[in-house]
Formats: sequence, structure tokens, C-alpha cells
Amino acid sequence: MRRSAAAGGLFAAGSLVPVSALANQASGEETTQAGRSPAKVAGGKVVQPQRELPVLHKTSVLVVGGGCAGTAAAFSAKRLGVDVTLVERYGYLGGLATGGLVLGIFPLYSRENKQVIWGFAEEMMKKLDVLKYGIIDRHKAPIYPTFDAEVMKYVLADMTLSSGVTAFLDCWGVDAIVDGRGGVRGAVFESKSGRQAILADIVVDCSGDGDIYAAAGAAFEKVKHNIGLISRIGNINEVDMAPTRGSEGLQRQHEHTFVGKVGTGRPSMGRVSDFNGHAGNATPAPHVNWLNMAGPVGDALDVANLTELELKHRLGTWSNVSKLQNKPGNEQVYLTETAPQLGVRLSRLLDGMKKLTYDEIQNGAKFKDVVACSGAYALSPEFQIPYGTLVPSKVENLLAAGRCISAEFKVADITRLIPVCWATGQAAGIAAALCIQDQCKPRNVNVAKLQNLLKQQGAYLG
Amino acid sequence: MTLLRRVPRRIIQLACFIGAIILVWPLLPWSITPRFFQQISPFVALSSSIAKRSIDVGAVLALIVAIVASFKKRWFCLYLCPTGFLLENTSHIGLRKNRWWSKVPPVGRYVAVLTIVGSIAGYPVLMWMDPLCIFSSPFAMNKATNPYSVILVSLGLGTLVGATFLFGMLWCVRICPLSGFQDMLYLSRKVLWTKLTAKSTGNARSQKSGAELVQISGASSATASATRSQSAKQPASGSPRNSARRLFFASAAGAALALVARRVGATRYKKANTLLRPPGAVPEDRFAGLCIRCNNCVHACPSKIIHPDTGREAGLAGFAAPVVKFDRDYHYCLETCNACTQVCPTGALTALDMPAKKKYVLGEAIVDTNICLLALGKKECEACALACPYDAIKIKWDEDQYIAYPGVALNKCTGCGACQVVCPTGEEKAIRVWTLKPSST
Repeated sequence: MRRSAAAGGLFAAGSLVPVSALANQASGEETTQAGRSPAKVAGGKVVQPQRELPVLHKTSVLVVGGGCAGTAAAFSAKRLGVDVTLVERYGYLGGLATGGLVLGIFPLYSRENKQVIWGFAEEMMKKLDVLKYGIIDRHKAPIYPTFDAEVMKYVLADMTLSSGVTAFLDCWGVDAIVDGRGGVRGAVFESKSGRQAILADIVVDCSGDGDIYAAAGAAFEKVKHNIGLISRIGNINEVDMAPTRGSEGLQRQHEHTFVGKVGTGRPSMGRVSDFNGHAGNATPAPHVNWLNMAGPVGDALDVANLTELELKHRLGTWSNVSKLQNKPGNEQVYLTETAPQLGVRLSRLLDGMKKLTYDEIQNGAKFKDVVACSGAYALSPEFQIPYGTLVPSKVENLLAAGRCISAEFKVADITRLIPVCWATGQAAGIAAALCIQDQCKPRNVNVAKLQNLLKQQGAYLG
Repeated sequence: MTLLRRVPRRIIQLACFIGAIILVWPLLPWSITPRFFQQISPFVALSSSIAKRSIDVGAVLALIVAIVASFKKRWFCLYLCPTGFLLENTSHIGLRKNRWWSKVPPVGRYVAVLTIVGSIAGYPVLMWMDPLCIFSSPFAMNKATNPYSVILVSLGLGTLVGATFLFGMLWCVRICPLSGFQDMLYLSRKVLWTKLTAKSTGNARSQKSGAELVQISGASSATASATRSQSAKQPASGSPRNSARRLFFASAAGAALALVARRVGATRYKKANTLLRPPGAVPEDRFAGLCIRCNNCVHACPSKIIHPDTGREAGLAGFAAPVVKFDRDYHYCLETCNACTQVCPTGALTALDMPAKKKYVLGEAIVDTNICLLALGKKECEACALACPYDAIKIKWDEDQYIAYPGVALNKCTGCGACQVVCPTGEEKAIRVWTLKPSST
């Protein structure tokens, strides 16, 4: 609680936080002390006694999760003049883009190498452009841009402080608050200040795992995907690094940190031959590469599974870096960091008003309620994402954005990627702001108005 | 009188020429019409039926043509053949207008015999010389994606037009196997006729028909003008005995060539790594023989992945026969398409219905973990797994090496190439379709 009060003070210094919000924080302190009621063992069962939760804050739009989708949603909604609160589990913003070290902005382009994700995504990239070692490979389609995680964290912190969005970091959304008719009224959070509530008119679930919509009783599909852990290595050979910049085509990009041998004829089936360790790919920071890791298929909603992977992945990363160090020219390479967050790809997929299907994206389906566009990936050309994928089929006052939206697995495998999360986040944020302004439910949002506002904020809708 | 007789023929020829274009374009919405176009040729129908040991529906058309041709000499050439029409008109503006070729032996007949004997051995050696295949081939030009293909599909007809312009009607009259085949049909019918009538009327007439046999076997003519002006002339070739000897050598050569070609084809396939034939292709030892290079399959392919081979993949024997190449982004063998198998006139590509086509294995996808972006930890890439229409590719996690790479389930992989065409590694693909090996299936 002390921390959030301090944060409130910081925002107040920027004189952009509504007075009402600060008042709520102050009143929250008293109720926290009063609401202590530890869990008890009764009859061999652990029971949490019924208790009243302190209300930390009241807001119009509550965005749960400060990753790509969450930040896009919060900042875009705030621009329309509504009261926005952003809650993030970790101590920094950016989610997998920063804490997960997913540094590639992919898929950004159409098959014709035209950039199809603009709006908030372009805004972020423009901010990174002007910062030293912020981003490389801009406007070099089909090579996609790579940014630096620390520079991104800086950009997001700066934006948060200047935007007027109320933010709570180190604050984990654990439950939904629903009213008698099943409409979402806010969310419950755990933090160093204990278990607290934030009341809101509209909640945007950008938790990635769909924790809030699942808690609110929305229908969803549980899926499993590979869970890895990305890392960065330093001191990588400068000769290896050089060709990315100014080179043409993926082949060159591929060669510059190449470990294996190209074109040695028919490879043998299913054998990993003479694997020499990852060299990864270039990042804006000189002599630093990032190493992706797919990892095994895991259950992102099972803490035992996550713990096992957190530990084993660090051993695996160490062993791969050691192999790389044994390669001539790479002796000085060292492991700079492993990502603070596991690379969870997919866990829950919403059952929304519209489930986006793989057939639709393959056939270039056009939607009247398009609110975002994704770049081309594999056999899928660039495709439209309709508003219905962000709106739960049952629960009211709730929107979803980011990787947990309503789509088939193979579609979600694309919409989970960084720039697409920015796009769906921005759409959900503006939709939430419209709900406040027009006093309507998310499913009744005036889509034409939403599309106009998105375009005004620079978004491309295909 | 001559004029009156000539004008209708010209009109019929023109109508057939236009009809041929409509069939092979194909302007009709019926996707298998091009196949019947080449099957009209009795030479192709007979050779391919023998080689395949099966008869296609289209053979009925060929039978009708054959019966008419056996009564009316070179009837097909005179009225129906679009190549003949084209070459005849070329010769009118050509440089050589005299009939110097009348002294050339009737090569077409020996080509026909050689091919038919070859087809008994399963390899119709020179079937690709059929004029209808040569005519339809350039129509595949709109599916050519590189200069080599443009040259290869137009090579046959281009050569014939050029040669006719320079040297006159040599091809039609002396070399074309279809005209030679018609001659033999006519000839056989006559001999048969004579024998039958000789039984009833006595030996006197058989002498006369013997003389005629000599005449037919020697002098021949593609065009009406040629026929009429030639009819009085002496035959170019020698005695019936000479002719029989040549027929024997042609047969022997046909059998020998067929056996050698099959052996070469089979050995080549064993060593091949990148050779991929279109769906439904007969085994490689017979493919180059059964394929007549009509390029119907090249023409039919909506993905434009079938190309005439420059000889790089299957050598001289397989020159200009179709190979599959996944060399263009996003263009693979569609799971919803069996077009190429439906248009093959000779059965070099067996007609596959959709369920059969979906199961047809064209090649096998193999991952090169040395350059796979995922295996090297370079990118968040699972393009091949996402693209696979048969759900055959799963990202495999190697716990020992602590890396992931795409694993291909060979029992599901059809070699459609979807993975290869989306692999983002550049020129050298980390996953590509290789020639199917019996050992690895």
C-alpha cells in the first residue's frame, strides 16, 4: 500500500491524475488494515473466511495487464479523455516484449512487403527510432524490426508518466468483480498491499492468459503451446554482426550469425546433426544477440509446470551458451540475461461473439467490424481482425485483447505476436472509451465510430 | 472444279484449327477437354494404351479417326490436323516450294512402328513426336514462370514452323509419326481388302494391289495439293523388301531403346534427390516415355509449380517432361486440386480423384536443422508447421540438445511443398521436399 501511495504522489507531481483517484487510494489504506482475515484450517480443509475487500481505486476503464495489448489499450483510451487505470503484475511495462525478450516486431508486413500494422505500433517504433540503440531494421521488409527491451521499458515508463494513465505495478490481477447480473464491475488484485479491489465501468482483459474473463465466467478454450525462455548473449563476434545492417533479403540476415553449414545436400530425416549452440539474432545493442527458445509444450496455467520450466530452461540456456563458447571465434561470448518472464505463447482463447477461423484468414475474409489488421505469416496473407473477437459472448462490461482473444488456435498463433497485440489492444482500448462516452455495453459499441477513432489514431484496418 | 474441292477443305481445316485452340486453351469450362484433344490421335491412343495396358474413354475418338483414315488416305492430315494446317500455310510463304523431300524415305512410318513396339515394352519411345502434342504445348506458356519454360513449351512447334518455312513440308509428309501411322492403317486396310477380294475374284487383282502397296509405302503426301501432284510420280523409296527390312530394324530399335530408357530412368531415380514429378506420375522408368510433352499439366496447374524439365533433373531422356519445383513463394501443390492428373492424355499422370489425390505422396519434406531458424534460436518461426495443410509438421522439442525444430510425420506428409514455400530462410530452404525414397517410407 505504501508503494501505491508513493506512486500516486509521483503521478500527482505530473498533475494528470484525477483527484478522485488519489482520494480513493487514501481511503484504501484504512480499509486494508481493517480487512485482515487470514485463511483458517477447519476440518482438514483450508478456508478463506468471507471478508470485505478494500477498494483501492475507482476508474472508468480498467486495463488488466501492462504488456503490448494492455499499454496500447490504456494509452489509446486515455487519449479520448476517459479515466484509465492500468495494472501490471511485474515491475515494468511491456510484458513479453520487454520481460519476455521477444524483441522482433513480427508480423508487420503484407506479402507485398507493405506495412499493415500502424497506429500504436508505429507510434512505438517512432519513439524507438529516435533513441540510441532503440531499434534496427526499420523499413527493411521482409526483414522485420528488432528493438531493445530496456529502451522499450524506458519508452513505456515515460509514456505512462506523461499520459495521465493511473498505473499500478507489481500488482497481480487475480479475480473479477461481478454484479448480480453477471456484468463485470472491476477486478481484485494481490500486491504487497494485500488483496484489494479496483472498481471500473469497463474492464479490458489484457492479461494474456485471460485470467479476468475466466474468473468472470466467460467461456473460453484452454490450449497448450510451447513455453520457452529467451535470453541475450553479449560479446558476440563483430564480424558475425555486421551484415544485418544494409543487407538485402533474409538470406543475408540468416547468414550473419550462422552456425551450421548451408546446402550440404539431402539432410537425414529427423536428426539434429552436430548442433553447435545458438548464436541467435542481432539486437540494436552492439555485440548483443537474442536467442529464441521454443521449449516444450506446457500448461501455462499450472504453476508446477511453469516452475519446472523456469529452472530447466536456465540450465538449457547455459549449456547452449557453453557450446557456443567452444566454437572458434565465440570464446568471449557470455550470457547477458535470461528473460524475467517465461515465453508463454498461448493458454486461454476466449469464446467471443466471433471466433476468427483459419479458413477466414487464409481466404482473406473481409469484416464489416474490422478493428485491426495482422501481417502475413506462413501461408496466411495479411488479414483483418473483427471487433467480435474482442467481446466475450456472455459476460458484459468486458473486453479482451492481446494473445487471449477469440480465435482458432492456428489464428491465435499469429494474433499472439507483438505487433498484432498492439493492434488489438488499441482497438479494445478505444472501444472501452467509447462504452464510457456513449454509455453502452461493449457489444453495442458503434463500430463505425470505433473504426473512425482508430483511423484518427493512425491505425490501418486493411 | 479443283477450286470447289479445295475451298471446303480449307474451311474445315480452319474450323478444326479454331476448334483445337478452343479445346486446348481451354476456353470450355470443362477442365479435362485438353486431354481428349491429344487422344484424338490414334497414334497416341494406341501407343499409350499398349504401354499402360489400359484403354481410356478418349480412345473411342481415336478409333473413329483410325477407321476413317484407313479408308481415306491421310484424311486426318488433310482435314483435321491443326499442326498440318499451320505448317501448310507456313510452307506457302516459305522459302522452299519444290518437293525435294519426295526422295526422303517415309521416316514417320518407322517412327510410328518404333514407338508402338517400344510401348509393348512399356516405353513408347518417340510418342512425343505426335503433332497434336506439339501443337498444344505452347498454350502452356501463360503458366511459364521463367524463360526456360517459355522456350521449352514452344520449342516443338517453333522448330516445326521454322523448319517448314526453311525446308518446306518435309515434316508433315515424311517425318510426322501420325501421318506415317495413318499411311500404315490405310495400307493394312488395303492389303486386307485385297486379300479378301482376291479370295473371291482370283489372283489377278492381288498383283495390282501389290503394286499399289509399293506406291503407298513410298509416295505420301500431307496436303491435297501434294497428293494430287504426287500421285502420278514414281515412289521415292525402294522395293517392298527394302521397306520390310526397315520396318524390322525400326521394331528392333524400338524394343532396344525402350528397354535401355527404362533402365536408365530407374537408375537415375535411385540417385535423384530433387526430382519431383507431378501427382499421379507413373514410376520414373516409364514416365519419360509415356509423357508426350503436351504440357497439359503445366497448363492446368493453378499454382504454376509444374515446369518442363531443362534436363537438369532427369537428363536427356526426360528432357521437357514435367517436373515439380517449389521455387515461388506461397505456391505449392494445393490440397484442393487434382487438375494436372485430369488432363494427361497418355496416363503418364494417372487420373486421381480428390480423395486419391489428397493421399498421393509426391515427395518427402525433410528439415535441415543446420539452417532452420527455429533450431538455431534465431526467430520465433513455425511457418512450416502453420502452413502444412495435412497437419504433418509439429514443432519437436529436443530435451537433450535443448533446441526445437520442425518434425515431419512422414505418414501424413504428401510432399505438397507448402512448408518449403513459406520457409523464410531465403534461397536455401531449411525444409524442402526431396525425391521419395523407398527406404525412408
